[in-house]
Amino acid sequence: MNISLGFSENKDHIQAVNEAVGQAIVGLGKTRRDLAIIFTTIEFAHPLVLKIANNLLGGIPLLGCSSLGIITNRGIFKHGFAVLLISLDQQIFLNLALVKDVNKRTPVAAGRELGEKFLSSCKDTRRNLSLIFSDGLISDGTSLINGLQEKLGRSFPLIGASASDNSAYVQTFQYFNKEVLTDACCGMLFGGKVNFGFGIKHGWKALGKIRYVTKSEGNIIKEINNEPAVKLYEDYFAKDALELAKELRRISIFYPIGIYLQGEKEYLLRNIISIKGDGSIVTQGDIPQDSPIRLMIGTKDSCLAAAAASCEEAKRSLGAQKAKLVMIFNSTSRFTLLGRQYPKELEIIKSVFGENTPLIGIYTYGEQAPLKSINYLGRAYFHNQSINILALGGQ
Amino acid sequence: MPNLIFISFYIAIAGLGIFLFAAQKLKEKDKQVAALKASLEEMDEQAKLIMRTDMELNKTQEELDKKISGLDILQKLSRDISTTLEEKQIFRKISSEHLEELGFEKSLAFLWNDLKREFYLCLNLGFEDAESELIKTAVNTDKDYYLDLIRSGKNASSVFIPDDFLTKDRINQLFEVRSFIICPILAQEGDQGFIFVGTQNIETRITEGEQELITILANQIGQTLDNARLFEKTWRSQQELEIKVEERTHQLSQALEEVGKVSKRKSDFISSVSHELRTPLTSIKGYAAILLAGKLGAVPDEIKNRLEKINRHSDELVHMVNDLLDISRIESGKVNMKLESLELKYIADKVADLLSEQLKAKNITFSTNIPDDSRNALADRSQIERVFINLVGNALKFTPENGKISINAHRSGKIIQIDVSDTGFGIPEDAQGKLFQEFFRVENAINQEVKGTGLGLALVRHIIEAHQGRIWVKSKLSEGSTFSFTLNAA
Repeated sequence: MNISLGFSENKDHIQAVNEAVGQAIVGLGKTRRDLAIIFTTIEFAHPLVLKIANNLLGGIPLLGCSSLGIITNRGIFKHGFAVLLISLDQQIFLNLALVKDVNKRTPVAAGRELGEKFLSSCKDTRRNLSLIFSDGLISDGTSLINGLQEKLGRSFPLIGASASDNSAYVQTFQYFNKEVLTDACCGMLFGGKVNFGFGIKHGWKALGKIRYVTKSEGNIIKEINNEPAVKLYEDYFAKDALELAKELRRISIFYPIGIYLQGEKEYLLRNIISIKGDGSIVTQGDIPQDSPIRLMIGTKDSCLAAAAASCEEAKRSLGAQKAKLVMIFNSTSRFTLLGRQYPKELEIIKSVFGENTPLIGIYTYGEQAPLKSINYLGRAYFHNQSINILALGGQ
Repeated sequence: MPNLIFISFYIAIAGLGIFLFAAQKLKEKDKQVAALKASLEEMDEQAKLIMRTDMELNKTQEELDKKISGLDILQKLSRDISTTLEEKQIFRKISSEHLEELGFEKSLAFLWNDLKREFYLCLNLGFEDAESELIKTAVNTDKDYYLDLIRSGKNASSVFIPDDFLTKDRINQLFEVRSFIICPILAQEGDQGFIFVGTQNIETRITEGEQELITILANQIGQTLDNARLFEKTWRSQQELEIKVEERTHQLSQALEEVGKVSKRKSDFISSVSHELRTPLTSIKGYAAILLAGKLGAVPDEIKNRLEKINRHSDELVHMVNDLLDISRIESGKVNMKLESLELKYIADKVADLLSEQLKAKNITFSTNIPDDSRNALADRSQIERVFINLVGNALKFTPENGKISINAHRSGKIIQIDVSDTGFGIPEDAQGKLFQEFFRVENAINQEVKGTGLGLALVRHIIEAHQGRIWVKSKLSEGSTFSFTLNAA
């Protein structure tokens, strides 16, 4: 597998596409181009931009999504257009798929459809890894994964990123060939011999006593310890529901709910999207009934330590192979929490994988990756506030 | 049997003991559990305290981070803005990058045009042109609210809206943001206005620190606008002045050119008239000489007397014509000054020698004082001799018997100044300025007696000026005069 990266922060969008695609094409040389992955900040999310990129790349399969910022070897950019060109080895194949109207049709149905599309042309081949980019504003990210797993198998390795915008939480974009979409999920299924390693960590620590979700439905927690769910936050922050609602995003980032997972080193985090009138809490992923939960607290140091741990885990799981490409799907919450220290994460990633290892990444509203503990049999979960590292190795 | 009873009793006692022991243990365990529960509750309470404190600390930290980066960017921005002296350029200095560093992605600035009675846009960051036009229209529809805000000098923001201003929702809706600050731009002179900054970021909370930073920025813009307007005003005045000076210079040049033309015509006229006069004069003088010599027969005394007068007047007329021709030649640049190193003392002595008879006749003391450093001047020998002869000759004419005439020189840098002083009658102050003009003669009793053409000093001036020198006079009636001129040192 050969890869090549291109990036431009030129404010002239067309010029930026030309520059970035030009760099990537030159980098790949005469090698065949099989796939392009495009990441942009939202001002580049325009059909014309994608059309130009598609034309320049000769109409090869293309997918990607929008983000708050682009992570590259050169730094983290709040404006820009990045392209990753991949040339696959003979024994690797891939199948690209897209589903639209995810929220409209229910995420679980969309997940099933995506799974079917992935399998449509590679039922008899060894399937290795699935990589997906979904709308970050899908209300129940877990159901999308569940639907997908119904078709691909519960233990099938799935790595994914939920697209973000400029922290406005208004609209995120997914790219598929020439289409710029919203409320969609696109991705690819790798078959054949793909060497990869991954690591996912967040760094938030549990605080306070364990409580139990006594009543929940999907991503809505109705009661905790037989009391309205919002009471947990009211007690901890000495604020009523109205006051909490004013600072919800902030509280959700700094103090999310953590689901205890037996055998896992970290809790599974859940961001709060909204508080309902009856005191229910709507989270970004599901929280099953009877789940033991705790309130979580994050610090800059623990966040940075988690970034290092995530990289180390990805590197370790890649084994003796050297990473040919590192993809980073990093939560926007971490960007907010780290404040002025956000570039430190990039330094950590580089220090683990080496200064010159090609890397590309985005900020996300949700991350998808399998849990490591044997108890979960490699099943992928929907994560919040995590840094998801995917390292692809060469032959 | 008794044994059995004993054993049963013993077992019952033991059982009771065990029961009591177990009950005791259970009670202790309950106590421990209760204690653990209490500890857990206490720890949970402590956790709540930690959470609340952490939240406050995070807020403070965030505020501090914002202030640090805000101050940093504001300092850079202020430096850029304050050095700008063109009004339009001031707003161009504010970029999207600056705005992002301050925590916003959208900004508009409007200034009020008092003549047109409307706000005009001078900064647009983060909006499409069509969007900003729509906002401008809406702002002008609500102009009274914005004008009141400017007059009050207060800010409006997502966290504080002054009374009688538009609602927060109206602003959010119009500018399509979630958080904003509107701050008046208060310039002392000219158009005032306001700057709007905003963000769609749901996580942004407008803090007092941010409001202060934007106020500082708006004040900086206001001050720079004042400076730019003052500069423009000064620049315009200077431009007007320069245009006037240019016009006047042009007029003067034209006048000078005209004067030059007239002067040339005059010189040409004098030159040609002089030439025309010289030929008949030579004939008159020649014929008079022939008659006087008696070559055409004896001449009676009465006629001889008249002929001598003709001869003398002819001489004077020739002299005058020659002077006029010389002036004309020098003026028109036809005379080439043959510059050489001249020994001034030698020339002074030569002139004194030439005029020794007259000096002696009037018993006038003649002296020279030419120090070594002023000895040699760069000049045309024959012309400078004429200067000395003219000046010493004049001094001789106007100095009464037993007077003094002196020639002094001194050097200043590369210039030698020569002073010809006498103890003569002096020249009235009002006549001193005209003394070097052609045909000017001081009107007094002495001049009635002493003859002259009024061309000598004019010729001297022309010769000195042709040497790039300068000539002037200082004089006091009844005390004497000093004619000074300068020459370049050799």
